[in-house]
Amino acid sequence: MTLLAVEGLRRSFGSLVAVDSVSFEVERGEVVGMIGPNGAGKTTTFNCVSGVLPSDAGTVTFEGADVTEAPPYDLARRGLVRTFQQTRELETLTVTDNMLLPTPDHPGERAWHAVGRTAASEQREQEARERAMDLLGTFDLRGMVEEYAASLSGGQRKLLELARALMLDPSLLLLDEPFAGVNPTLTAEIVEHIEALNADGLTLLIIEHELETLTDLVDRLIVLADGRVLATGTPEAIMENEEVIDAYLGG
Amino acid sequence: MKFEDLPVDATRAGAVLLVLAVAFLFSPLFVRPPAATLVLFEVGVLFLLYALVLVGLNLQFGHTGLVNFGPVAFFAVGGYVAAIVTANDPYGAVGLGLPWPVGLAAGVVVAVVLGALIGASTLRLRDDFLAIVTLAVAEIVHGLIVTVRDVTGGSNGLQNVPRPIAATTGGGGAGELFATVLVFGALAVLFYGLFHRLSASPYGRVLRAIRADEQVTETLGKRVFRYKFVVFVYGAAVAGLAGALLVFYNGAAAPGFFTINVTVIVWIGMLIGGAGNDRGVLGGLAIIMGFQLATRFLNEQLPVITPDQFASVRLMLIGLLLMVIIKYRPEGIWGDADELGVES
Repeated sequence: MTLLAVEGLRRSFGSLVAVDSVSFEVERGEVVGMIGPNGAGKTTTFNCVSGVLPSDAGTVTFEGADVTEAPPYDLARRGLVRTFQQTRELETLTVTDNMLLPTPDHPGERAWHAVGRTAASEQREQEARERAMDLLGTFDLRGMVEEYAASLSGGQRKLLELARALMLDPSLLLLDEPFAGVNPTLTAEIVEHIEALNADGLTLLIIEHELETLTDLVDRLIVLADGRVLATGTPEAIMENEEVIDAYLGG
Repeated sequence: MKFEDLPVDATRAGAVLLVLAVAFLFSPLFVRPPAATLVLFEVGVLFLLYALVLVGLNLQFGHTGLVNFGPVAFFAVGGYVAAIVTANDPYGAVGLGLPWPVGLAAGVVVAVVLGALIGASTLRLRDDFLAIVTLAVAEIVHGLIVTVRDVTGGSNGLQNVPRPIAATTGGGGAGELFATVLVFGALAVLFYGLFHRLSASPYGRVLRAIRADEQVTETLGKRVFRYKFVVFVYGAAVAGLAGALLVFYNGAAAPGFFTINVTVIVWIGMLIGGAGNDRGVLGGLAIIMGFQLATRFLNEQLPVITPDQFASVRLMLIGLLLMVIIKYRPEGIWGDADELGVES
């Protein structure tokens, strides 16, 4: 079943067409990689899909609903959650607050409940806190709960960003270069987390420009070049695709 | 022990104080503070009104990162609307002569409408636009107050505005000052408590996240614009309330009450105290207003310097203090450097 369908997506910046009639689909339960050289339009595609950038043309369908015009907060609530290429922790918040922030449907985020400290708000906060501590345990961040996110190392930031996204219980997670600037040990750890999450039913779309990291992890690859989809297929098929080799791997 | 840990909740304390203050107003009790302390009470009244403006500004800037350079605009609009609605025969200006509660409500409502208009048109744009627009609006409001003479009385202002507290205490003097401090103090504590509760909750967490990174906050499922808008309007509302209280205290509205100095004082108080620390900003305001009061006494002892020269020296000293704070303690005296993302 198709979870995400992107059809004819186009986005330009001035005279530069960053993404040009890009179409692809992601099936529920898949791990899909999106590769391409720098400037291929990967992040712009992510930005358009996640509502961060408006697209010039094309449609985005998520779980059967047209979400082309949907703002980022709406997509996040629907279960389409993204991370950023440069990790973007909320540095002036503690690790715990970073984790609690995304809690969906929190009554305490409405002024009346916040001022009145209602039971509904306290209960939701307690539930969210338990879930956050579980996730921080899974991601080896339990020792950092009271630290400000600014004090985390680069690797810990990657893990926190992943853990934080899971607080939204996403059905599709878009990861923008989760392995960039990460040492091999941590890369293996992140790969394990991704595999475990996928085994639990999470669908993932992962941007990467190192093909090697993705070949064992993903079911399918989408290759972008110059803002267009060059090829899609299994990692094996992609590695033998002449066009891909010419445009990307050969270079 | 921190203030926050005390088993006293400011919201409840403020509500109880307000009830007591009003009960006191209508009781036969009478307090006459010594004449020498009257100047303290006078400065105290102004401090409490500025404190109201400041708790709103701190919610906007300290917690949410909204740069509002024109809190005085809402203070002035609240004050002038309240004055116009209630004044009786205000000498060459518009005075509707309605009861003071109507004026109070009208002052707050118009300040809220102004806040909503500015918020709706500006808060979707980049941060710096809000700073520019609020600064400009404050100047426009001040300009209108001085130039639309038929309505506002121009530089003379509006006279014959009702003075509800003076009327209740039997008019004038020390008893009235004391009662005013009691009522305004109760309101200041109440709004401090309400805004502190708001900021120390999951709601406040969203505000701090917006201050840190709006886009990330939005991609984590929060309607950033709505929070910014609501917080901006809350700040406008309390500033409007404070303005209305000021004209009901003075029995008049005049352009001199609502100059850019108000904005400067509350901003400096906030930065010295530590933006984002609800109690710290009030401490900062107390420091800056205490400094002004102390130097006033000093000037009386130094007759060789004219008051004009002295005012300039005072401004220089305040500027120097601000520079020292920003250079050596950018988070302010009670601010949290980690929370504000600054290195001291």
